[in-house]
Amino acid sequence: MNATALLSAAKDGILTGAVYALMASGLTLIFGVMDIINLAQGTFVVLAAYLSYALQVHWHIDLFVGLLITTPAMFIIGVVIERVFIARLKGPDRTGMSILVTYAVWLLIEGTLDLVFSSNDVQLQGWYVPKSFTIGAIHFGYIYVAGFLLAALLLGALYFMLYRTRFGVSVRASLADQTSAALVGIDVKRVSTITFGLGAAVTAAGGMIYGATNAFNASSSYDLISRLLTIIVLGGMGSLGGALLAGIVMVFIGDMVGVIWSPIWSTTAYFVVLVLVLLWRPQGLFGKVQARVA
Amino acid sequence: MKLLSKNLGWVVFFAALALFPLVVTNPFYTSIGVYALLFMASATSWNMFSGYSGYIALGSAVFFGVGAYTEALLALHWHVPANGNLFWLVPLGGIIATAFAVPIGWISLRVRRHTFVVITIAVFFIFQLSAINFSFTGGSSGLALPYITWSAADFNNPFYYAGLILVVFITLVSAFVRRSRFGLQLLAIRDDEDRAMGLGVQVTAIKITGFTMSAFAIGCAGAIYALFQGQIYPQFVFDPTFDVSVALMVFLGGIGTLAGPLLGALVLESAQQYLTATYSNNSLYLLLFGGLFLIVIMFMPQGVVPFVRDKLTKRTDLERAAVAANDVSSPSPVAPSTPTEVTA
Amino acid sequence: MKRRRGFLRVLSLSSVATASVLTAVVSSNAGASSGGLAKGAPVKIGISLSLSGDFSADGQAFQQGYELWANDINKAGGLLGHKVQLDIVSDASSPTQVVTNYQKLISVNHDNLTFGPFSSLLSLPAAKAAARYGYALIEGAGGAPSVFQVGLHNLFDVSLPVAGDLLPFAKWVTSLPKAQRPKTVAYVTSNDPFTEPQVTSIQGMLSKAGIKTVFNKVFPAEVTDYTSIADSVAAAKADVVVLGSVDVPTVSSFMQAFEQSGYNPKAMIATGGPDQGTTFLKAVGAKNADGVMVPNAWYGASANPLSKKMVAEYIKKYGGTAAGVSSDVVEAYSVGEVMAAAVKATGGFNNAAIIKYLHSNVTLMTAQGTVKFNNLGENVNPTAFTFQWQGTKFLQVNPIGDPNTVKILYPKPVWGK
Repeated sequence: MNATALLSAAKDGILTGAVYALMASGLTLIFGVMDIINLAQGTFVVLAAYLSYALQVHWHIDLFVGLLITTPAMFIIGVVIERVFIARLKGPDRTGMSILVTYAVWLLIEGTLDLVFSSNDVQLQGWYVPKSFTIGAIHFGYIYVAGFLLAALLLGALYFMLYRTRFGVSVRASLADQTSAALVGIDVKRVSTITFGLGAAVTAAGGMIYGATNAFNASSSYDLISRLLTIIVLGGMGSLGGALLAGIVMVFIGDMVGVIWSPIWSTTAYFVVLVLVLLWRPQGLFGKVQARVA
Repeated sequence: MKLLSKNLGWVVFFAALALFPLVVTNPFYTSIGVYALLFMASATSWNMFSGYSGYIALGSAVFFGVGAYTEALLALHWHVPANGNLFWLVPLGGIIATAFAVPIGWISLRVRRHTFVVITIAVFFIFQLSAINFSFTGGSSGLALPYITWSAADFNNPFYYAGLILVVFITLVSAFVRRSRFGLQLLAIRDDEDRAMGLGVQVTAIKITGFTMSAFAIGCAGAIYALFQGQIYPQFVFDPTFDVSVALMVFLGGIGTLAGPLLGALVLESAQQYLTATYSNNSLYLLLFGGLFLIVIMFMPQGVVPFVRDKLTKRTDLERAAVAANDVSSPSPVAPSTPTEVTA
Repeated sequence: MKRRRGFLRVLSLSSVATASVLTAVVSSNAGASSGGLAKGAPVKIGISLSLSGDFSADGQAFQQGYELWANDINKAGGLLGHKVQLDIVSDASSPTQVVTNYQKLISVNHDNLTFGPFSSLLSLPAAKAAARYGYALIEGAGGAPSVFQVGLHNLFDVSLPVAGDLLPFAKWVTSLPKAQRPKTVAYVTSNDPFTEPQVTSIQGMLSKAGIKTVFNKVFPAEVTDYTSIADSVAAAKADVVVLGSVDVPTVSSFMQAFEQSGYNPKAMIATGGPDQGTTFLKAVGAKNADGVMVPNAWYGASANPLSKKMVAEYIKKYGGTAAGVSSDVVEAYSVGEVMAAAVKATGGFNNAAIIKYLHSNVTLMTAQGTVKFNNLGENVNPTAFTFQWQGTKFLQVNPIGDPNTVKILYPKPVWGK
């Protein structure tokens, strides 16, 4: 163990954690506004990564340029899924039903990806992927830094949209209370659809960075969704800042334990911290105390 | 007599399960039967807490795994010979799983529903990773149980009947709980926890009790699984897809009902095993499974059992109406052409 | 509870009875599945493979190997005049499915013989199920020590037992003259029954030779994000890296992180991944592969005439180059060859006779090399090689003194050069 290794772990925590936070931000928004737990979020990330892959392999489109295509594509996919499946869910057990429906959607997307791309692992390529620069003794991979900047930019944009625009007011009103929002004339249905679309759209950038830094296949979604779910619970459901902090904490704790002790206990340590935090603050780090029984 | 006729469906169902390996003797089918029964027991047990109380647990594989490891470790440390005596350890697997459930329940049930789901997932991963990383569990190489050398023709039958006994046992317990005061309190928590608390229900105690009770049968199922498989690996007994499968089976059959989990587990597990063995392309299978699943949810959001029950009661209502109408119009002016065609 | 007691008493009694008649049952079962094959009827071989799920890439390569062997044997007139028909079902990488599948293959499909699945995790449940029917289970990928500890009599692994894989590499390192010999080594392995025994097996030998261990850690097999582990290996700056990996993505992730950190070890060996031919080259880029080593029992350019024949047929059927043939293919192919030899020697399809024959200390030739089984079914007579990527060529660099061995590229070139 030395100082370089620890600093390096801290760097990984911040750079990679922000990307996880970006993927999780979609999940936390969707849950906050709609009370929908979108289990398909992990498979959205993989789908987005495969879209980037297809653009790169067939049309030689650079990963970052490709985002201009994949982001709207993921938005539309999200909107369609919301309209066709999610919007139909009604009744008191909507949240429970949403788990089942999005699980089925997940299986359908995973099956399709497996059929189209086979189960061999692939990784996204670019001249910048293996390159890095050095500050002191710490190496910064271009792709990780780009991922961090992209995540910061998009999270910032989401934050701006939520707190500085009319649409944001509607979203926040729906976040607080759907019924009252409807009473003051907010079109909750439209807000829900757009939110779901946005939640899917952020996976375009998240998926691209994920695919460039990890080899993946259709079944990578299992690992992803468990990470994303724990991030939003730790951060507090519905909170963007919480997701950011929790994403960084998750990777940081894992890496620190890996360096100081052993990588086999990294994930365990994170889950132990998660359980402890939730016992102390059931609503998560930044969550609002829930008045109703949810 | 009245009790029998009232529960005729149940008697026929369990009789059919009991006779199955005697009629269909081929080990391929009885092997599927063993796995289906283990899931039926687990799903029923899961439903007894999560279905009645509305607290969805996604970490039941903890009990399954603890049961499996208990079976394996005790068999190895006590040098139990490779014969039927190994089945005596199965209830111990259930008991140890129950013992683990007490602190887990005490910790995870201090929070409300959505957070509870995630805590159960987190606890699950802690157990899975510990099983991989500790050495007394055999680490990633897992544990090999005593090698049972029964003949192939009826090797599966003892496991099948052990599974069946477990299913009957947990179904009776679940039925009993549902009718008891304790069961009503669980249902009250599902409907409105705050009100239940206001009415004086000791919600925390009730929830922890229910959660703990649900661990026993799942632990036993894990123990039987370990015995049947003969070799356990941490990632296969602490299996996240077990958690999801059990929940799906219950939702598909009808959450909170007695027959739903049994039916959901029977259909899903047998279908999955049979289809994978018969049609080998998995991605097509995923599409088929996902698609069917989606259709069931969209059209029968409450699950198959409540849906069919609704249809049946509607039909019997219609039939009753028809009979009544017939009574009014009789004597019928048109005589039936042949007596055999006379129905209702 | 009373019912349970009664049931269990019956059960334990019956099990005693069953155990005592076991030998008779097993032999009679095997007899039923034996030489009584009608003239002109095909001989059916049941196999469960992971055509989807975690092990699917290897499962599909195994399928190619088995099919290649079946084609060859049928072209040559089949086994004892019977055409070989492969009966392949998928187990989706699930251990419960594999149990169900072998029971189906034997009791429903009435296959005459069985071959093993992919992965040590699945071969044990498969072998136990096959053992109940007295069937021999010959397999090519399931060489973890834990598989043999059970002491199954019907299980045979034609490949190299994993524990000895890295020995030639360790011998080479310690044989280097003092000035050239690396001073430090980093061990990093996934906690997998296949990799851990390999990596631990050479640690004593290297430290005795004065090579200091500067990093030694195990990482969880289920991890997909290797950045931080790889970064900490890189920070140790060891001369040699020994990576316990099972697949291509793991190796490529480590290599990418090493390159990003500007860490260039003098030698790098990975237990699995670099042997996957073109799949590996594609994943890491041809330039980065240069100098990376892998232990194995076989490679595409092997001089073994059986192997040359197989490789030629592989290329004819699936295209590509000799270096691009995955070692999974030859492992599966060799399973077929061992079975063919046993069938010929015993003059029939009697599994009991086949098991007896394979336990009789015979030495058989396969495309992968020589095979001889000990009483646990381990191959005690394999040759362990080390292979190295040099440019886009995959070459044999160990054992030293073998006529086909070329000089090791050492130190390994800088990444991308």
